[in-house]
Amino acid sequence: MIPAVQELQAAFQARGYVADDALATALRLVVGLGKPLLLEGPAGVGKTEAAKTLADVLGTRLIRLQCYEGLDAQSALYEWNYARQLLHLRAAELRGEAAGDDDLYGETFLMPRPLLQAIREPRSAVLLIDEIDRADDAFEAFLLELLAEWQITVPELGTLAAVSRPHVILTSNRSRELSDALRRRCLYHWTEYPSRAQELHIVLSRLPGINETLARQVTDAVHALRALPLGKTPGVAETLDWASALVSLHADHLDAESLHATLGAVLKLREDQLLAAPTLQGVAAKAQARG
Amino acid sequence: MAEPSRAGLPASLAAQVTAFAGRLRQRHGFLIGPGEVRDALRALDLVDVLSRRELRGALRAVLTAGPEQGRTFDLEFNAFFRAADQPPPTLPPLLPETPAPAEPDPDGKEQEQPDREPGDPETRPEPAPSTPQAGSDPGSDLPDGDALQDGQESQDGDEQDAPVMQARVSPNAAPGEALRVDSGDLGSLLRAATGLIRALELGRARRLRPLPRGSKLDARRTLHAAARTAGDAVHLRWLGRPRRAPRFLLVLDGSRSMGRDATLLLRFAQALHLRSRRVEVYAFSTGLTRLTPLIRGAAPGQPLTLPDLGDAWGGGTRIGENLLKLARDERGRVNRDTVVLILSDGLDTGDPALVGRALRDLRRRSAGVVWLSPLAATPGYRPVQRAVAAALPHLDALLPAGGPDDLHALGRRLRAARLTRGAFLAAPSPGP
Repeated sequence: MIPAVQELQAAFQARGYVADDALATALRLVVGLGKPLLLEGPAGVGKTEAAKTLADVLGTRLIRLQCYEGLDAQSALYEWNYARQLLHLRAAELRGEAAGDDDLYGETFLMPRPLLQAIREPRSAVLLIDEIDRADDAFEAFLLELLAEWQITVPELGTLAAVSRPHVILTSNRSRELSDALRRRCLYHWTEYPSRAQELHIVLSRLPGINETLARQVTDAVHALRALPLGKTPGVAETLDWASALVSLHADHLDAESLHATLGAVLKLREDQLLAAPTLQGVAAKAQARG
Repeated sequence: MAEPSRAGLPASLAAQVTAFAGRLRQRHGFLIGPGEVRDALRALDLVDVLSRRELRGALRAVLTAGPEQGRTFDLEFNAFFRAADQPPPTLPPLLPETPAPAEPDPDGKEQEQPDREPGDPETRPEPAPSTPQAGSDPGSDLPDGDALQDGQESQDGDEQDAPVMQARVSPNAAPGEALRVDSGDLGSLLRAATGLIRALELGRARRLRPLPRGSKLDARRTLHAAARTAGDAVHLRWLGRPRRAPRFLLVLDGSRSMGRDATLLLRFAQALHLRSRRVEVYAFSTGLTRLTPLIRGAAPGQPLTLPDLGDAWGGGTRIGENLLKLARDERGRVNRDTVVLILSDGLDTGDPALVGRALRDLRRRSAGVVWLSPLAATPGYRPVQRAVAAALPHLDALLPAGGPDDLHALGRRLRAARLTRGAFLAAPSPGP
């Protein structure tokens, strides 16, 4: 039974992921239409986490393919266990037997990689193709066949059709323009940083023991930081890291001292820390005045 | 996988969605074919069509393919599927009844943009461009109505909606003008682009890849090959480090002061794009716009026609702010294979400190930063403009770009100067 949009939203929320209407609808269509979803947006807005949460909500397996420059089809699909194949050949030779292709290229020596694993899963898995923009054009073109036909060809075994169609989520940080062909095969959703209220909700959900005042101050501070022209804008993960660091120091509100001690959890460039110093001083002063 | 259709869908909804998809395709060039329309109709079965938010989310997920399209989609959706309690879009008073066009303003835009051709009908105002103001979220400016209006009225009122859309989508309040650039010298510029690409050598990649000859034995492929010769490794396979192909990031100053140089450099950007797919092009004046999709969609050999670029063309100059925006927002497009080419005369009205900050950031992450200045081609040129002076410490080269000859010489000059970190700052041309 496929959950309705609002049920999906509630299930995500119960797992600490605040999905807005549009994202929940897009994920609903991934499951219902059986089409891949291309999730784009700045780093740190929770694209990968959305796929993980979807797998959790559906109670199915998450299979992740992390893309990188130079990733080829072989690495993503399957590999043969050459060492075992050679041993098998030698052993057959010693026994005076001939090893045929059927012996060498069978399940015994096949090592499935993420894409093959995904289409061989008896129950639809969530296949996360992470940071597709890091892969080369050639790999992107290779994916088109899989995403359109839901089958792959292993030269030694023939064409393998999907046992169950996986729920595919591709993520991209837009470091490279993806082809129109890939975009046309996917549903599309642009993910932005969460609103202040959403992010506060995320912090409170993920860190149940946090003081609400502290959570609110951290969220406000992160939003003030995001308005600055930083080299590396903090994402939701940084917000959670920062709040978590403050909790571990038993802080119940932001002050200059705790802010200074934990700044590295949210700003990862020295230049950004210098640029943000006046803003953070203002945040600390405001927090202390309220406290 | 498909679910049975729900009962009770509005009878005309399928027709409305089909008409809406056609409208997006015809007005804004969305890549929507029969497959997308079919998926959109299937999606209706999976969401609550009486919820405006769900309907909008479903259609947006199926019919859009990028964030720019998302914003245009929201505007069109709100115009097409008006909530029952929403009044139809109203036009500014008197606009349709304006009796006669205003007298040509001698100080108007035609003079501000010398490259436009006033007499050419091709340069008349275009329909609404798909470059709305960033940051706006027009999709949320209407309430989540519980019911949809029939929609027929919207279809009939397309022409009436158009000016409203124009005013809301365009960054300028007034209808903008298309930019038409002749491409008569494309062949010459293609040769210049080829020269530039060949001249750049960025060294070898770090990652090992299978190559016919290399420095390291590829054990996996060698063993694989050995399986065909009964385990004897007769055919050795190698791994090596391939050459790094350059990526280009062109940032083009389209402000008034650039004059015809801007269109020359725009044509050069198009030529470079035709020679390498790894090219990104941005234009800025007071605002920044990504031109890559427009240049990618242009037909080679035909005049390059761009829609109204709004605050990215023909206005004042804010170099620092826009470079900083580029360095921050398009961070992912710059890596150690990217050569950043800034095409500007350096005449700036903004804060020069921002220029230095942005270039320091860009240079740190790229293969090199080269500034091409039309002014540098003039005899006796000294880089004293505030923006150029602030940029100099962070540049790998400051080179002239005063005409086609300078562009032809670009590759040679970069090669002569050896594009390595801090190794050169090429002297400006002595001029003719």
